Amino acid sequence: MRYVVLAIPVILLLAFLVYPVLTVIVQGLTSGIGSTFLEVISSESIQYGFQFTIYQALLSTLLVVALGLPGAFILARMQFRGKSMVRALMIVPFVLPPIVVVIGFNQMFGAYGVIDSILMWVQSSSLSVFNLASGVPGIILAHTFYNIPLVLLMVSASLERLNPEIEESAELLGASTYQKFRRITLPHILPSLLAASVLTFLFCFMSFPIILAFGQGRFLTIEAQIWNAFRFFDYGQASSLTLVQLIITLVLAVVYVRLGGQSENEAGETSSIKTVDFHQYRMSERVLIILYVFMIIVLIIGPIITIVRAAVYNPNNGTYTLDGFANLLAGGSQGGFTHLINSLFYSVLATLLAVVLGIPLALAMRSRNRTIPTLASTMILLPLGVSSISVAYGLMLTIAVPTGLVTNPWPIIVIAQTIIGLPFSARAIEISMRSIDSELLEQADSLGASRMQRLLFVEIPLLAPGILVGGVFAFAMAIGEMSATYLIALPQNYTLAVAIYDNFATRHFVEAGAAALILVMVCVIAFLLMERISEGSTTRGAL
Amino acid sequence: MAEYPVRRDPRKIIAVVSIAVVLVVATYAAVTWWRPRFVVYTYSSFLDWGDEGADVVLQRAFAPFEAKYGVDVEIVLLDADANGIIAKLVTESANPVADVVIGIDNILILQEAARNVLEPYISPSLGLINESFVNALDPDHYLTPFDFGLVTLIYSSSTINTTTHPQLGNLTFEDLASPQLASALVTENPHYSSPGLAFLLSQIAVYEEILHTDWTVWWETVKDNINVQEGWSEAWSVWSSDPTRHLLVSYGTDPAYSSSWLNGSEPDTRVAPFYYDNEPWAWMQIEGVGLVKNGPNPELGRAFIDYCLNATVQMEIPLNQWMFPVRTDLTLPSVYQYAIHPDEINILNDLLPPSTISANLTSWLNLWDATRTP
Repeated sequence: MRYVVLAIPVILLLAFLVYPVLTVIVQGLTSGIGSTFLEVISSESIQYGFQFTIYQALLSTLLVVALGLPGAFILARMQFRGKSMVRALMIVPFVLPPIVVVIGFNQMFGAYGVIDSILMWVQSSSLSVFNLASGVPGIILAHTFYNIPLVLLMVSASLERLNPEIEESAELLGASTYQKFRRITLPHILPSLLAASVLTFLFCFMSFPIILAFGQGRFLTIEAQIWNAFRFFDYGQASSLTLVQLIITLVLAVVYVRLGGQSENEAGETSSIKTVDFHQYRMSERVLIILYVFMIIVLIIGPIITIVRAAVYNPNNGTYTLDGFANLLAGGSQGGFTHLINSLFYSVLATLLAVVLGIPLALAMRSRNRTIPTLASTMILLPLGVSSISVAYGLMLTIAVPTGLVTNPWPIIVIAQTIIGLPFSARAIEISMRSIDSELLEQADSLGASRMQRLLFVEIPLLAPGILVGGVFAFAMAIGEMSATYLIALPQNYTLAVAIYDNFATRHFVEAGAAALILVMVCVIAFLLMERISEGSTTRGAL
Repeated sequence: MAEYPVRRDPRKIIAVVSIAVVLVVATYAAVTWWRPRFVVYTYSSFLDWGDEGADVVLQRAFAPFEAKYGVDVEIVLLDADANGIIAKLVTESANPVADVVIGIDNILILQEAARNVLEPYISPSLGLINESFVNALDPDHYLTPFDFGLVTLIYSSSTINTTTHPQLGNLTFEDLASPQLASALVTENPHYSSPGLAFLLSQIAVYEEILHTDWTVWWETVKDNINVQEGWSEAWSVWSSDPTRHLLVSYGTDPAYSSSWLNGSEPDTRVAPFYYDNEPWAWMQIEGVGLVKNGPNPELGRAFIDYCLNATVQMEIPLNQWMFPVRTDLTLPSVYQYAIHPDEINILNDLLPPSTISANLTSWLNLWDATRTP
């Protein structure tokens, strides 16, 4: 009976993820439409795409580690007011939809943005003088913004588990700060640092909306090239690229799971961590801390806050207007209100499905059987490593076309969004399962509860915070999903994320900004709510 | 004695949530359920550039057809240029939903993928139009001509003109390659956009057939200066809002559009055709209507194609599509005096026969991609 329950999500994933992607790959490679695999690999522009993808992901990862590591130390070691709130909000950049990051970044660092306007005013110029939000610098910086929370949170969590007595003993024995760092701290945080780096690399490798918006059509990652190939029906190219990308990302995902598994074993008591107040630092350290915090504010908090300006400022004529919000309330199949309803409807459905499928998968990962946990983990990691555009196209080909759903493909959109949110919901639920005391379950058994009663009245209520965390993550992923939705949707199915990109590309900046603001508010509210309910276990609960 | 908290039954919560979800989904599905109707695929700015907007114009143009045949005509405005429409038709080829497609042009029809999704049809209404259009668009009748126009460079005379930039009156590609003019140019991606492809082919025609030199060199020279947008709408937005971009690859009817915007007076937008051998040159684009292969309503599809050549539809083209209608017997609005007509200019298409284009298009596009690599 248990295996039947566990099998349902696996079967669904096989039907809606594995089969469509395999169909796309096989059909593309064998149907003869478009280029052959060899032609694709040897093409100069494709090879440039490979190099660029790896180069920008590597550079972004290095930058993220360099900028995030000091923050992790500050977050773990320094005591300041509002620390729990800061820690809770730190996850927000990571779950912001990438297309919203584009808007915020453009508004902060782009032409006619906040920094540019200040510089224009200083130089009394009427044309843009500063534009960091395009080309390679824009891409790298946007990736850094997006992924710093990973390093900050994962490494600080690991640091907090470092038993302070070890460091104190080292000090007593005469170790210098550098020796302490090199021989005690660094080996301790290395697994989580590596895990965060691998995740960052993976996300930058698969990055798409940021590349589309800032790449000027010339700087393309593999994912962007897949997108292009589908759009001018070179299916051979699309399939070849999907295959190559799949191999690379699966390797990365496996590495991540291995690294993540190791760090579980060194959990120490977190309550005895020694925190230092700001004033106890030396002056030089204090200056450095302030500079670092300032940089974080400019790089991370700045773009989020300037979205407010993006929602009302129209750089095309330099005026402040509420047209963006008026557009959001416009009805009709192209109006902003339809987009809003679509976004909410699809994401809520996708979230429910992601949670309902995530629970059995999480249970499967805790199973004592040999093969089931590996199977479940692979299924969960698959969406992270497969091009979401190929998934979308595969769903179109295998489900929408034969059933005639192309006329209104919203079920496919929901399925695609579910698949994208599933890794996060399953992982969050699985992590919260680890904290359930098995004695409670055994007590329920010994008091005569049936399997169903134990599940419903003991396990699920205990899991409720984890389910909530997983649901909110899945919701954030679903509502921010752009690439798959854009490929599938007809204009009447557009969500806010797709509308933002569409407006941004046609320079309707205010409309894009207003929609982005709504998305940001929705995400932030969801997270604050979740933080409230789960009382601080959020950020540890999802990564 | 402490009071035990009341135990909430999770089954009730799950049941309530499930019922709510089922209700909402059922309502949404019922509201958006597909009713059988006649489907036309076209691109998003179709007939949308007039004063009234696409909804009104489409209603007026096709209402007689709906009344005569008792069907609902659904015009699906896809957010893609013609190539994207073909891609969508190819995806759906196993079970097509569309009956007719409007907007594939004389270049795209040369591609095998486009011919694979269409069915040839020789309309009796072809007698209403000049035979040269049929031959220039598609002698095999996969497409029936709908409208035509010239793809050329335009500029706004309030930002630059022949006084500040004399080259504009006698423009060659070499002039355009200068950093000054190249950084003022916006064009479209030939993979996705038909004017973009027309521009690329214009450049190839000039370099291969007139100058007899390697055409890729020009793209290498300008690659860091020009702005290449995805499609014509995006390029138009950049041209209208970015003060540094003065030149746009667009249509020769844009001066007419500009004039009508200024209530019939002298237009602000000017055309800058290429001059070689003291002759002006431009690329002619003819768009057509095609019958989708294995579409749900082939008979109605044929009737629709016949109907597109009627005056009712063709009359809407000049002021809403800003192209020339293929029904040359209809009078054009007065602002069209400012548009360039194919009779006044040499046609670059004559230099590149369709067989050459269809044989080389893929490799040309690959070479273009290579020039774009940073």
